[in-house]
Amino acid sequence: MKKKKIFALLLAVCMTVSLTACGGTKEEETQKETTQISEMEEAAEDTDTKVEPAKEAELNIMMSFPQYMDQWETYCRQFEEKMLEEENIAVKVNLEMPSSDQYESVLQARLTGDDAPDLFTLHSNNIAAYYSAGNLTDLSGEELAGKIYENVKETVTTDGKLLAVPIESQAWGVLYNKDIFEECNLTAPDTLEDLQQVCAVLKEKGYTPFMLAFQEQWVPQLMTALTIGGKVSGEATDWLNKMYADEGSYAEIADIFDVIDVIMANGTERAMEEGSEAGSADFANGKAAMYVQGTWASGTIMTTNPDMKLGVFPLPVNDNKECTRVNLSTSTTLAVYPESENLELALKFANYVLDDEDSSALFQACSFNPLASCHNYESASWVAEASEYVAAGRAYQDLVLPSAVTDEQGKLLQEYYVGSVTKEDIIKTLDEAFQNANKMNQ
Amino acid sequence: MSAKKKENLSLLAFCAPALVVYILFKLFPAISGIFYALTDWNGLNKTYHFIGIENFVELTGDRHFWRSMLFTFKYVGVLLITANLLALLLAVFIESRPKGKGFFRTLFYMPNMISMIIGGYMWNFIFTRVLYYMADNWGMKFLDRSWIGDPKYSFAAIIIVASWGVVGYLMIIYMAALQGVPSHLIESAKLDGATNLQCFFRVTMPMIRHALTICIFWTLNSGFQVFDVIYSLTGGGPGRATQSAAINIYEEAFSGNIRYGYATAKSTVLFLIVLVITVIQLNIMKKGEQEL
Repeated sequence: MKKKKIFALLLAVCMTVSLTACGGTKEEETQKETTQISEMEEAAEDTDTKVEPAKEAELNIMMSFPQYMDQWETYCRQFEEKMLEEENIAVKVNLEMPSSDQYESVLQARLTGDDAPDLFTLHSNNIAAYYSAGNLTDLSGEELAGKIYENVKETVTTDGKLLAVPIESQAWGVLYNKDIFEECNLTAPDTLEDLQQVCAVLKEKGYTPFMLAFQEQWVPQLMTALTIGGKVSGEATDWLNKMYADEGSYAEIADIFDVIDVIMANGTERAMEEGSEAGSADFANGKAAMYVQGTWASGTIMTTNPDMKLGVFPLPVNDNKECTRVNLSTSTTLAVYPESENLELALKFANYVLDDEDSSALFQACSFNPLASCHNYESASWVAEASEYVAAGRAYQDLVLPSAVTDEQGKLLQEYYVGSVTKEDIIKTLDEAFQNANKMNQ
Repeated sequence: MSAKKKENLSLLAFCAPALVVYILFKLFPAISGIFYALTDWNGLNKTYHFIGIENFVELTGDRHFWRSMLFTFKYVGVLLITANLLALLLAVFIESRPKGKGFFRTLFYMPNMISMIIGGYMWNFIFTRVLYYMADNWGMKFLDRSWIGDPKYSFAAIIIVASWGVVGYLMIIYMAALQGVPSHLIESAKLDGATNLQCFFRVTMPMIRHALTICIFWTLNSGFQVFDVIYSLTGGGPGRATQSAAINIYEEAFSGNIRYGYATAKSTVLFLIVLVITVIQLNIMKKGEQEL
């Protein structure tokens, strides 16, 4: 019994001591904190200017070109530094680059799942659809609007509103190997007859005239993009309006198949086994003299063969020179999500893309063409060559066809190449696809 | 509480975590998918309209969808036979070997460990580069075909790659079933004068029928949903020549007209077709098993 009492007493003493110790520690800590605060206050009073803590913010950006990940990451870091320095905002930019194949489906899922990125890239052809869904901010009043070249601005404008920052814009037609043309004493053709003549000479000299790389459906579709564009801008000027009014038909522009036939008949073999990248590499290595491909392929071509002399000419549609024009188009653009929690900051980034000091370096590093007054670098020789056609008035704004029709054209041209459909089948199917798209957009 | 009720409750408690996940991530999206099939939602807009069965009515006249459906049936039919036949032959071959079972099992199962998207791209390279190299440089002219560009050969190319991908998995199921066949049954059949072939068809096959049911069910189910292998190998082309129903649905939802509601109507129809076929298949096969 006594032992128990002594043990209980000892325990009570231990607990009291430990509690006092705790109290002592807390008191000491409080004292320390008070001293620190008063010291800081004194220090702050000593200095003339008070430094406000940087405001923290986060910006989520989704882009569709993982091949330029490094360049854009560097640009985002530059933006972070600029914001901290000039606006005292500690912004953290999260840059996402899903693969190009999956990009659109990922973007749609994010937009509909209330998880939209603050800024995102989209193809200029999709601007109208995304705008009507309420996913794009009007950038007309922003500083960047005054910098974009007028012909480029038109490609990103809907209902008089500038809805995206153009990033990839180009004047394009047929790429050709200038060395081979010089060797064969050839000049860029202006008419279909000229083109046939060029093909004959090239064959005579042992060269394959056209590089065909039809494995991906968007590549053969480039032939319809160029031929329909040329035909509509030079002759059938009301064709597109009639198509949108369900009053036209592809039969009215059926002569576009003449040049498509010439290309297919004078092309490399195994076209369906050749992807666009492989096609660019083979073209760079001299496997063919011409390639119906945009100037966006110049990166791969010049990496494969840095000494290559690359040229661009407009694809002739028929023997009317008026129809032989280069295509002016914008592919990738950057849009701002209107319900972004950081809308102001997102707009600052959109403006920074066309920044007077830093934009040129970014565009040059990505091999993008100059598209705004802030771009002061010298464009590549092939871009300059295509620009000469633009300056001479031999260019047209890319036609805006419904995406479903564009996709269908690519598919049908693949089937046309392998011989499973005829021209008549293509005309019938495309007319139907256009009418269906009109019905959808009513 | 009765013992039965207690048992049921404890069973439910054990199933609950998996059931919650299943309902949240499988059942709910599937049912909401059926709802969207009755709307004109484009997958982008925040609003949509209820349009009843309009999507289903339009579907009846959609020749691209039915063409892709026909292709899918053809694909499933051919894959069902080739993959199961190959898997069974490999299983019998490996099981009959006294040595090296582990090596061959690993060798044939390996493709199953690679994602079919990656497998598809690998084979794309083989068909578009390696085979042509062999044809051009080694005189193997019979390989000089447009394997993925010509509709005549692209179907064969898809079946080769799909079989390469699934055979290993089916083979493992058949091997497990073969190991369960009592050896004394085969020995007594042989004593009665049965040949090896007779032993296989009269004794082994009936004994592994349950494996056949599982493998056919699995091939049917995965075959109707085929996407990855075709997408990476031919992209559904040339044109729409090798477009499966799943690729058609994907394109409807995410490219072209971007019609999410219509795409879900298509996937609902595909789901119902697969459901009916697999239920019929399971009933027939199970009935056969019970008769044994």
